[in-house]
Amino acid sequence: MSNNPTASPAEPVHAHEEVPRGTIKAYLEVAGVLTVLTILEIWAFYVPSLQPVLIPILLVLSGAKFALVVMFYMHLKYDHLAYTGIFGPLLALAGFIVIALMILIAYFMGSPPTA
Amino acid sequence: MAVAVPKEVVKARENYLTEGGLLSWLVTVDHKRIGVMYGLTSLAFMGLAGFEALAMRIQLAQPNNHFLSADLYNQFFTMHGTTMIFLVIMPLGLGFFGNIAMPLQIGARDVAFPRLNALSYWIFLFGALFMYSSFLFGGLPDAGWFGYANLTERFFTPGSREDFWAIGLLILGISSILGALNFFVTIVNMRAPGMTFMRMPIFVWNILVASVLVLVAFPPLTVGLVFLVMDRFLGTHFYSTVAGATPILWQHLFWLFGHPEVYILALPAFGIISEVIPCFSRKPLFGYAAMAYATALIGFISYGVWGHHMFATGMGPIADAAFALSTMAIAIPTGIKVYSWVATLWRGNFVWTTSFLYALAFVVQFTLGGLTGVMHAQPPIDLQQTGSYFIVAHFHYVLGGGSLFAFLAGLYYWWPKMTGRMMNEKLGRINFWLTCIGFNMTFFPMHFLGLGGMPRRIYTYGAGLHWDFWNMFCTIGAFVMATGILFLLIAMVESLTRGPEAPADPWDGRTLEWSIPSPPPVYNFAEIPHVHSKDAFWEMKYGNNPGHKVPEVAAEHEAGHVPHIHVPAPSMFPILLAAGLALCGIGAVAWLRITLVGLLIVYLAIVGIGFEYPTYGEHPSKERGDDIYPLDSRKVGMWTFIGSESLFFASLIGTYMAYKGRDLIGPTAKEILEIPLTSFSTFVLLMSSLLMVLALAGFERGDIKAGRNWLFATAGLGCIFLGGQAYEFNKFYHEGVTLQHNLFGQTFYTLVGFHGLHVLLGVIWLLTLAFASFKDMVPKKRALAVEFGGLYWHFVDIVWIVIFSLVYLMDKVTGA
Repeated sequence: MSNNPTASPAEPVHAHEEVPRGTIKAYLEVAGVLTVLTILEIWAFYVPSLQPVLIPILLVLSGAKFALVVMFYMHLKYDHLAYTGIFGPLLALAGFIVIALMILIAYFMGSPPTA
Repeated sequence: MAVAVPKEVVKARENYLTEGGLLSWLVTVDHKRIGVMYGLTSLAFMGLAGFEALAMRIQLAQPNNHFLSADLYNQFFTMHGTTMIFLVIMPLGLGFFGNIAMPLQIGARDVAFPRLNALSYWIFLFGALFMYSSFLFGGLPDAGWFGYANLTERFFTPGSREDFWAIGLLILGISSILGALNFFVTIVNMRAPGMTFMRMPIFVWNILVASVLVLVAFPPLTVGLVFLVMDRFLGTHFYSTVAGATPILWQHLFWLFGHPEVYILALPAFGIISEVIPCFSRKPLFGYAAMAYATALIGFISYGVWGHHMFATGMGPIADAAFALSTMAIAIPTGIKVYSWVATLWRGNFVWTTSFLYALAFVVQFTLGGLTGVMHAQPPIDLQQTGSYFIVAHFHYVLGGGSLFAFLAGLYYWWPKMTGRMMNEKLGRINFWLTCIGFNMTFFPMHFLGLGGMPRRIYTYGAGLHWDFWNMFCTIGAFVMATGILFLLIAMVESLTRGPEAPADPWDGRTLEWSIPSPPPVYNFAEIPHVHSKDAFWEMKYGNNPGHKVPEVAAEHEAGHVPHIHVPAPSMFPILLAAGLALCGIGAVAWLRITLVGLLIVYLAIVGIGFEYPTYGEHPSKERGDDIYPLDSRKVGMWTFIGSESLFFASLIGTYMAYKGRDLIGPTAKEILEIPLTSFSTFVLLMSSLLMVLALAGFERGDIKAGRNWLFATAGLGCIFLGGQAYEFNKFYHEGVTLQHNLFGQTFYTLVGFHGLHVLLGVIWLLTLAFASFKDMVPKKRALAVEFGGLYWHFVDIVWIVIFSLVYLMDKVTGA
């Protein structure tokens, strides 16, 4: 254990390294998948037989689109894990707020009036 | 060799207080100066809040008193609460102590974003002045610091008082979020080499968790205030039952902020006490790890306890039970802290300084406030007491006897470091005893008054209710306390004018701030320290042999020994930007054209900040010596901002979903939303994200022309999206769905409109970058500037992905 309380700032603890990002091809592929997923969403919306399961279908499809943009276009897949560590919990809290408000207000106000 | 500074007075050649003239403070970005400005401003507002409190105590001293009218009493009690929470305790804990001590404790030369730090302060100052300026326009706000709906609606509170309150809080919220973001990034990324999370000073832990809480708690409040402003200015009915809405929504949004806010106010205080007690007990903090985990746990649980403020609203037994349990649960980590302080005190070798006295008083008083808090975790008890003076006693013991006493302990503790002067301990003791006795005289009897049935928020009461004696007693106590605070001011002035010079390490401290001269030089540390243990400076001084002190003088700080150290240059843009923001607020309540001028100033100042520093948009480099930290602070900041923005949209989406199908009149979502058009808009926005990454790739490979063209194309698609939105809004409007028409109209326009506003800001951002690239201001080496704009752009894209599914597709199916 050293008694020296200082050290030169020229001794980096962690070096900044250029992280390899996605290629143009990868970006185009992601755009293709996003397009297909959006078409699927709209298709599911117009198919009467899918109406009973439409909500889970839409949640899965929009979740997949969300993840693709965040991972590839926002580079979370390539960047330091710390950025995911920052965004992930905040996103979870955002989901918590939506659900909490829905449940608490619904419980307080009772069933919606019929239009 | 070592640079530890024990008792000798070592002066920096030029310290942060002396460098530059008075005007240099206006453009300073030095965290220590900004801390001082926060401190002075908060003290001034504390004086104002104290004046309001004394006036209220005179009014309540005897029954049927007419010292204050009911109206003036309401104004004072509203502004006393608002001021103490938003303009005193919060800025003292984070703005003052956070700035003064945190960067020094982690061995940093400044915070991550010095200009953002200055901006936070100036927005805070202008926001506070804006709120109080309502005094000139018909009176101060008067609907309580909690602003309960629907008392705050224009029908019940006409005039502009509440406008100032709501818009003022919106402005202050921006300041808080920017400040917290800055501290979060600083602590996460700028700790000295070797300072792992479990070696961080416990004060820094508390600032970290408090900052996170600000980032997650303020967005719901912002949304609640936006709804309130819309109700008051645009005639919406977010909190009004006439449109099928409920005022309870305000309480949820407000207390979603409000209870974490209690810990935002308390955590910095916990941190200070956790520094002061070990220092003056001559012992290390007992259970450091438990304290750190307890701090994090408090932050986590505090986000799930807000409902205990709402037991009396009738949330139902399940919600009541859930919030009762979570509220009791938060007492556990808080109890761990109290236990740890007491265990640290156990068999300590006490040094009876004023700071230590305040810390001891804190432990007792905060525990008292905490215990009555646990009482209110039980709905049946809370129902009896929530509207009574018992609650007034409870929260004053937590925030007054707790936070404020801790801040006074911290003030005495860090005063020598901050000013380079010692405080007079004799005056300090007078200050302490008068304040402590006065505080307990004022607030302890309020428990009796509450149990005796005296309601809160009343401006007078009748004789013969047996409340006279204790009310008079409380009033006398308030004046004793005010006298005590007067002695604090005397002690401060005496110290600054005649106080003896402070050594670098007057208390034989344990943390890094004591290793540098008092007051610190502008650059803080001549060399960034390496940390090997959690009590870094203690270990440097004593190593593994407690009996062997190694006193060595910090000769490096004297003339001729300091290497050239780059410190951030002053900037006029923060104050300019804050002034522009204040103009926006003034324009909203006075004359809308002023808002346009304000917005123009804000835009120009942001552009100024964006391109001001010579290294903007560049990666950290070894040559400049700014690559010593593990992550890029700007990127950490951007992701944190995006996360916080997610909570803003979550509150909007949550409100939309909660009100869905509750319209009293049509048309509703199901009848009016047009899927083909929106599907096209969605596709356009998704493709704009593709163009954005292509633009970034262009700048990164040095093909500026291609990058610029892709930027223009991205902004173009953004404009097409906005055009589609404008078409949709226009169509709905002509079909009778206005902002005021029904719940669907107001929640839809607000949610989708705010998203559109974000798209518009994104378009402006991208166009600014594109035009700047014509002037060679965005070359290859500055491609990061484009990446940050891109992150924001993709964020508005992912928000739309959620809105498209939840609002358009699902609503078409499930909407009433």
